[in-house]
Amino acid sequence: MLEFRTQGYNGYSVKYSPFFDSRIAVAASANFGLVGNGRLYILGLTPNGIVAEKHFDTQDSLFDTSWSESNENQLLTAGGDGSVKLFDVNVPQFPVQSWSEHAREVFSVHWNLVSKDTFLSSSWDGTIKIWNPNAPASITTLPTHSCTYSAAFSPHSPSILSSVSSDSHLRIFDLRTPASAANHLTLNVPIHTPPKPRMGAAAPVGIAPSEALTQDWNKYRDTIIATAGVDRVIRTFDIRAPGQGPLAVLPGHEYAVRRLTWSPHLSDILLSASYDMTCRVWTDGSAMGVPGQDAMMEPQNMMNGGGREMGRMGRHTEFVTGVDWCMFGAEGWCASTGWDERVLVWDARGIMQ
Amino acid sequence: MANQTGRAAQAQERLSQVSNHLGGVRTAKGKQALLEKNPDDIVVTCALRTPITKGGKGGFKDTHAADLLHGAFKALIERSGIDPNLVEDIAVGAVLAPGGGATEFRAAALAAGFPVTSSAKSINRQCSSSLQACVDIANAIKSGMIDIGIGAGAESMSLNYGPQAVSEFSELLEGHKEAANCKVPMGVLSEKMAKAKGIPRSEQDAFAAHSFQKAVEAQKKGLFDEEIVPLKVKWTDPKTDEEKEIVVSKDDGVRQGITAESLGKIRPAFAKDGSIHAGNASQISDGAAAVLLMKRSTAERIGQKIIGKFVQASVVGVPPLMMGVGPAAAIPVVLEKTGLNTNDVDIWEINEAFASQCLYCIKELGIPMEKINPKGGAIAFGHPLGVTGARQVSTLLTELRRTGQKIGVTSMCVGTGMGMAAVWVAE
Repeated sequence: MLEFRTQGYNGYSVKYSPFFDSRIAVAASANFGLVGNGRLYILGLTPNGIVAEKHFDTQDSLFDTSWSESNENQLLTAGGDGSVKLFDVNVPQFPVQSWSEHAREVFSVHWNLVSKDTFLSSSWDGTIKIWNPNAPASITTLPTHSCTYSAAFSPHSPSILSSVSSDSHLRIFDLRTPASAANHLTLNVPIHTPPKPRMGAAAPVGIAPSEALTQDWNKYRDTIIATAGVDRVIRTFDIRAPGQGPLAVLPGHEYAVRRLTWSPHLSDILLSASYDMTCRVWTDGSAMGVPGQDAMMEPQNMMNGGGREMGRMGRHTEFVTGVDWCMFGAEGWCASTGWDERVLVWDARGIMQ
Repeated sequence: MANQTGRAAQAQERLSQVSNHLGGVRTAKGKQALLEKNPDDIVVTCALRTPITKGGKGGFKDTHAADLLHGAFKALIERSGIDPNLVEDIAVGAVLAPGGGATEFRAAALAAGFPVTSSAKSINRQCSSSLQACVDIANAIKSGMIDIGIGAGAESMSLNYGPQAVSEFSELLEGHKEAANCKVPMGVLSEKMAKAKGIPRSEQDAFAAHSFQKAVEAQKKGLFDEEIVPLKVKWTDPKTDEEKEIVVSKDDGVRQGITAESLGKIRPAFAKDGSIHAGNASQISDGAAAVLLMKRSTAERIGQKIIGKFVQASVVGVPPLMMGVGPAAAIPVVLEKTGLNTNDVDIWEINEAFASQCLYCIKELGIPMEKINPKGGAIAFGHPLGVTGARQVSTLLTELRRTGQKIGVTSMCVGTGMGMAAVWVAE
């Protein structure tokens, strides 16, 4: 396990470069992101451990970052002052571009993985904005009317994106739909819907809505999205059957789940980071095929859709807020960051059982 | 400095957001969370009322409560455009109606065009009956028992007010001190409370006169027109005993030219050295009001125009003799439940049962006077007991919308010692 200290700054997000296996970006904030400056670290993984290649300071807290998919030196930040900034590793000190349209804290930024020429941001002001890095103003604004903690483009389509927000709903927008009163909203799935009752198990009871904080598109199955949040439960949804309720329900975290990410290598593996100071690796049960007769008899397995926790990493000593997989090399390397001012780089295979 | 305070507020908001994450399955609180629009919000798509008229001599003196309710229902169906077949339950607050009015109100719903499948009930929580009716419907929607419902109120104090409204207490109840206090007349106990809390008559008269002046002004500007449904009723002229058909379109208890000085000349009603009189207490009145409630997702699905949402309500008991402090007890509870500060509320509709008790509550809560009952209150246009709760909703939401403000609270003291309060957001 490799370690780096973000002295004086509490981590909020960590992202591996999509171009280099040795480069990591960390968005961090002074004073736990409540008040004060933000700092964007560009870290290099070297034979001598993790070194800070560069850092950028910002006036307000930083809550998220996303690497450009088209330029290996550029990356975005999500700012507490409502700004979205584009930094270039080769340009010292200041961002090459800054956009201030959001009325409140920006919580997520995400680059379009398919067309690579647009990116999005989501904010506490209840909107998602779509941007072109070369344009001074946003292209489109999609209202959610609810503090939107996370929005992300589909890795399979340039015009489909999803969001989760504090109203406990997963929304899917399709930018190809005609501009209308619906603002490109094509699906609005209540996350707290209980799973469909299955044979042999008691009908699930209703669950209160709770804030959804994170989500991620599966990299192999183009209709599967995982969500998680304040109710501590990870769920997966198939957007082809939104009325069906969650496919997999994965309870286990002891506090709210702050970040979720699907493995870039294995279609059923998820990694989560939580306020309970752990990162956990999960399988949603989909890679096991049809559950066997024995598994069918276990009511617990029925409820969970066959998924389970495969292992946990408990080395952080404060809330874990960011986690990401390395896309290159052996298929278990990942990085995590949290409020303990640390970035940890570790191999998930070491904890999976 | 201003920047500093802005920063502090922002830090506080970020901190409360994180603490919400840690609180487990508990929905976010505070002003920001309140203003969010969620698909499972309970929203209001129509809130209206009949005029409120003077008991015994006003426009509705010969009209039954159920007939007033019938008028409100018909107008609600017409104005909202709701398909009556979609309304699953109707709750009607009423205090004085014999038998709670349950039979007549169900009949009024049927006569107004609701199908037999729309159920109806009556509710009596004294002066907060129709707020309770709205809250009951909202809770039934929230729990999934129904999808669409109406909270309403109807009262004819002209026909039903009097000694017959309360039966004699048994020896058992008379023998228990606090229980026996439930029977003490409102005026008498409010007089005692005004004395105990030290609310001088001059302040009460000034407050009452201001209520009249605000109502006159609002009437002049037509600020009640949106919430009021004119009603055609039969009315017997007391001079000629001739029965006529008249259209009532205005609150007829509102009087021009009332000042603190003119009220100062009226003799106290309940004690020789007292401070309470007809001019600084609520009027005896007739009227009806109705509020159409459903989930936001339902409203969007069936194309109903959303005018506001119901957020949360509270009910608290207080000593029966201190009935008037009810709002001061219930409001902090509802603010705590919603995470609001007193400053976050734009308009307060606090029922003016008596100027004395309303003033006490305002002082106790530290509410600026200009945010209280901006169109006047029960002292100016009346307090038809079971109607007031639903009446306040229509008054509040129209004024919030007109002035571009957002958050409002309705509250009232409740006979026998209770207070009720509710938070609403205009959209």
